[in-house]
Amino acid sequence: METVTTLLLAFISIVIVNNLVLTKFLGICPYLGVSGRIDMAFGMGMAVTFVVTISGTLTWMIDNWILMPLGLEVTRYICFILVIAGAVQLVEMYLRKFFPMLYESFGIFLPLITTNCAILGLCLFINLWGIDSLVEAVVLSFGAGVGFTMAICIMAGIREKLKFVDVPDCFAGAPITLITAGILTLAFMGFAGMIK
Amino acid sequence: MILADIFELWKNAYPAGLTMLGLGTLFAVVLLIASEKLKVKQDPKVEQILESLPKIDCGGCGYAGCASYAKAVVGAPSLIGKCAPGGDAVCEKIAEILNLQISGGGHLLRPIIHCRAHTEDKTVLAKYKGIGTCLAANALANVQACKFGCLGLSDCVASCKFDALKIIDGLATVDYVKCTGCSACVSACPRDLIEMVPFSQEDMMTVACSSQESGKNTRQMCKVGCIGCGLCAKLTDLFTIENNCAKMDYEKYAPSEATEAAMKKCPTKVIVTKGPVAK
Repeated sequence: METVTTLLLAFISIVIVNNLVLTKFLGICPYLGVSGRIDMAFGMGMAVTFVVTISGTLTWMIDNWILMPLGLEVTRYICFILVIAGAVQLVEMYLRKFFPMLYESFGIFLPLITTNCAILGLCLFINLWGIDSLVEAVVLSFGAGVGFTMAICIMAGIREKLKFVDVPDCFAGAPITLITAGILTLAFMGFAGMIK
Repeated sequence: MILADIFELWKNAYPAGLTMLGLGTLFAVVLLIASEKLKVKQDPKVEQILESLPKIDCGGCGYAGCASYAKAVVGAPSLIGKCAPGGDAVCEKIAEILNLQISGGGHLLRPIIHCRAHTEDKTVLAKYKGIGTCLAANALANVQACKFGCLGLSDCVASCKFDALKIIDGLATVDYVKCTGCSACVSACPRDLIEMVPFSQEDMMTVACSSQESGKNTRQMCKVGCIGCGLCAKLTDLFTIENNCAKMDYEKYAPSEATEAAMKKCPTKVIVTKGPVAK
């Protein structure tokens, strides 16, 4: 029972309280770049969720079973990047085979998931937070993806509405998007302290 | 001394190197297997055709982009010639790749705007301060007296990827040198003012008005509208009057004395020539 509670708390924590995008400011590039339309944003969120779950799990395994016993923590970054790049390649091939339309609409943003700092950030955070069970690492990785999807979909929903709003000229485009992101972050600050 | 240092360094570094090598090889093998299993079979012709297309993704052919057009044209060769920006050169290349022979083909299609009212010619009933698009302004009844004329709020300009449209004094104007004939502007205009016309001559004569109001009403609303008097139709059978507005038969058009006379005699001077030379 205790483990279930821990896992549930870890999941809620990473999705809402410690949301990588909204509280750690990671993955801002796709957050602002692909949040023009909800369907695209959701697809991007799904792709990131897949990549982050795979890479979070694999990096935990590599970190705990290979790097730490061998005392090779210095190679952590390069190993993690390797895993992420490999996972992205896998996703790309999979999408190209089974969802060609989605593959075409993503364009350059799909390979750019490789450099999405939310993913590398999560892999490093798992180590930083001292997560020592594989299941918790999996839950955290998946939760990070869900949190990213949630954030980008909320943003896309707001931006779809923003198109019909009479924004002052000096704020139109990127400035109003950044201000929206800021206000959204403020709103999510309200969850801080809910889970320690 | 230095040699010992280097040896020491090597002793510390080689486990890291070996681990990375191992991991790298593992991922290489996994990706290799995946790329074989998830291989997408693509017709090499599709790639060749895509190479020869302009790759500007203008959507003039009716497909989402050049890549999807290339795919479609391989499946249905009758779609050759849909690429307006590419023109004849691209058609020939596609035909060569598909091992087909093409001949003939129609004249280039270029847009003509059926309105010639500049700001000073129009009657405006109320000042419009709403959303700055024709689509929004067109939804209101009384923005401009003429229900058929150009609103000049740049919907077509925004749709043009080639910078070939400009609003000059409240009237959309085509730059025929820059225009590639992709026909994106046709669907952008909420008043259906833009028509794709086969340019059999370098410059085409046209009736630059689409008002279907009676002559009297048109006259009141616009200084340069077609009043449907039928003078041009009497001079040459290229013109016909439909719904109080003169129409040109572009298929048969060739410059002649009769057409010149019609242009000169038109009381509101609404018959004009359009094209790269006439502007």
